[in-house]
Amino acid sequence: MSSTPLRFPGPNRFRSDKEKDQTPEAKDRVVQQTDQDASQSRLSAVETGYLVDPFARAFVEGPVQKKLPLINRGTYVRTTAIDQLVTRFLTSTSSRKQIISLGAGSDTRYLRLLTTHRAAAASLLYHEIDFSAVTSRKIRALTRGAPSSPSSPSSLVSELLLSPPTALTDDALASAHYYIHPLDLRTLHPGCALPAGVERGLPTLFISECCLIYLAPQEADAIVRWITTDFSGDVGVVLYEPIGGEDAFGQVMVQNLAARGIVLKTLKKYSSLERQRERLRVLGLVGGQEAADVDFLYECWVGERERGRIGGLEMLDEMEEWRLLARHYCVVWGWRGGFGGWEGAWPVQGGSRV
Amino acid sequence: MMSDLDYAISQLRACKPIPEPAVRELCYKARELLIEESNVQIVDAPVTICGDIHGQFHDLMELFRVGGDVPETNYLFMGDFVDRGFYSLESFLLLLCLKVRYPDRITLIRGNHESRQITTVYGFYDECLRKYGSANVWRHCCEVFDYLALGALVVGAGSSISDTDEIEVEVVGQFGEVISRMKRPEPSTTATAIGGPPGSGASGSAAGTKGVNNGAVLCVHGGLSPLVDSVDKIRLLDRKQEVPHEGAMCDLLWSDPDEIDGWGLSPRGAGFLFGADIVKHFNHINNLSLIARAHQLVMEGFKEMFDSSIVTVWSAPNYCYRCGNVAAILELGEERSGAGVPWSATDRTTVVRPGPGRRYRVFEAAPQDSRGMPAKKPVADYFL
Repeated sequence: MSSTPLRFPGPNRFRSDKEKDQTPEAKDRVVQQTDQDASQSRLSAVETGYLVDPFARAFVEGPVQKKLPLINRGTYVRTTAIDQLVTRFLTSTSSRKQIISLGAGSDTRYLRLLTTHRAAAASLLYHEIDFSAVTSRKIRALTRGAPSSPSSPSSLVSELLLSPPTALTDDALASAHYYIHPLDLRTLHPGCALPAGVERGLPTLFISECCLIYLAPQEADAIVRWITTDFSGDVGVVLYEPIGGEDAFGQVMVQNLAARGIVLKTLKKYSSLERQRERLRVLGLVGGQEAADVDFLYECWVGERERGRIGGLEMLDEMEEWRLLARHYCVVWGWRGGFGGWEGAWPVQGGSRV
Repeated sequence: MMSDLDYAISQLRACKPIPEPAVRELCYKARELLIEESNVQIVDAPVTICGDIHGQFHDLMELFRVGGDVPETNYLFMGDFVDRGFYSLESFLLLLCLKVRYPDRITLIRGNHESRQITTVYGFYDECLRKYGSANVWRHCCEVFDYLALGALVVGAGSSISDTDEIEVEVVGQFGEVISRMKRPEPSTTATAIGGPPGSGASGSAAGTKGVNNGAVLCVHGGLSPLVDSVDKIRLLDRKQEVPHEGAMCDLLWSDPDEIDGWGLSPRGAGFLFGADIVKHFNHINNLSLIARAHQLVMEGFKEMFDSSIVTVWSAPNYCYRCGNVAAILELGEERSGAGVPWSATDRTTVVRPGPGRRYRVFEAAPQDSRGMPAKKPVADYFL
């Protein structure tokens, strides 16, 4: 019976919306709104007990949207896997370093680092880059509330940051340790002017969580080339992205997101773990390239006890759907130089259990 | 009540909810009916066996279009009517109306989602709250869940789905086009088969011929339980309760077959994994030719395992508006020659009973704007 021909839905089956004529600004707005999706997902995972993040609530506008167990689990895997890569980089040496978060949106990673690795953060320069529409929302959240209330988000700026802001506007922040840059990523390419405070000689880790995927392939490639040509020290890149757009699940994903106006522009070009690794190698991360899908990361990077804890948080009964979804997202990382002790630090074995 | 019921059916077929008092009345009648059913309902072939529906109402309509309507087609739904999709309420109530209206033409058994605990996590509770402003309707439905049978035993299924040929398996597309056919292998003379005693009707061939007692088909949502070694043990359970966290009743609704030996822990946190040896032994001692179950998404709509001793049937196409899978239903025909003998749990005549003739109808998701029914734009969640 294994020879039964598969009849997967053709490309026109599930189209629920006609492709809209959108202005470039409207398209950008749709991408900017994905930040709220990510924040909502993070808050849902925090409130259900997957993650500890005291800052998650501050960046969500409106009520908590409870996400499905498999979305919570995915958010957990994504966050903790990237945390491992970041922590290893941060704690590998005590010398000064830099992290540049591309399309950082309302990400709370820096604030979390300030509480979990405060000593290491003293020698860290952290930059976040995103559209002005997004950074202004973040600045609002960081400065909102009564200064007198110790639990208010305003205390994040006044008490948590290692150094007081030297500049703080509606959409930008500068300080000795932390920068928020209102900047269109598409302006980053080899030879471009460096954003204020960025140091090209420091060992630098670049993070892109569901960010480069929204750019045209040549724009996304230009950013990685910028990283490998304009920065002179050791560099590392971590990407979190969907893959596998060619199978039935992937086709439906592309169509469902297209109905919301979201186009995964590099999905086709970088559709597999293999292609993702090759991407980083070709673009200059010649020290090493690794990639693993979320299903693999959950099974192989999360310890057995922790998996027991996660499994006990809520009943995830849809195992097939979870594996399907989890095998369509991956973490990719590559480096140049003896970067941050990444080489051979984690089991990879091809990065997939399929 | 009859005209009320027909009105409710027409409303629900148009994907419109029915008023709360009508739901209460319907659930009361359904409970009266279901309380009389055995834990393992006996169902005569021909019957069309369906897997998970999960509130995908428009796809349920597509299923009826492909498989025929009630009461013309005799249906057996293996649970998971609710949760995940946007129309759990309409889907479940329609099936329940059809059950009350045509009790002998539709059998509903319980899935693991027909539970208070699971429906509060996976959407049905919220949907009821949204559509009625209170949890009353959800409560009425949950009371019905407690009375649903745990399994069904299909008897009298024919060995071929064709009059003229010994076709064991046929796969048909949603427009009735034949995608593939598999003939039953010629009776072999090797010693794999043990001849049936005189009068049993068994041919002495594992491959089987017309007129063979094919054994019954056990239908259950999830699978087997280490606490249940016979169909009779299922009959002894006290089913009229919320699905427990462990034990035989839980396992029947939660377990999965897997490529392992014996029993294994389930990654779902409830039920068990069970291997080919478990299935073959269970089928043998219970005189079954096949176990049909649902519970697991399969991209092709159905999946036979362990030398066709168990099959997974999945009837929710493009599951959760996200998975891109096709769906299937399984048709078992009736024995045409009339030479079959009644099923008996104690008649263990062959090592591996030849499975019944099986026709799988495979179908895709209903078009979004199908038949002018309200269709909420699906918003499937992704990581963004």
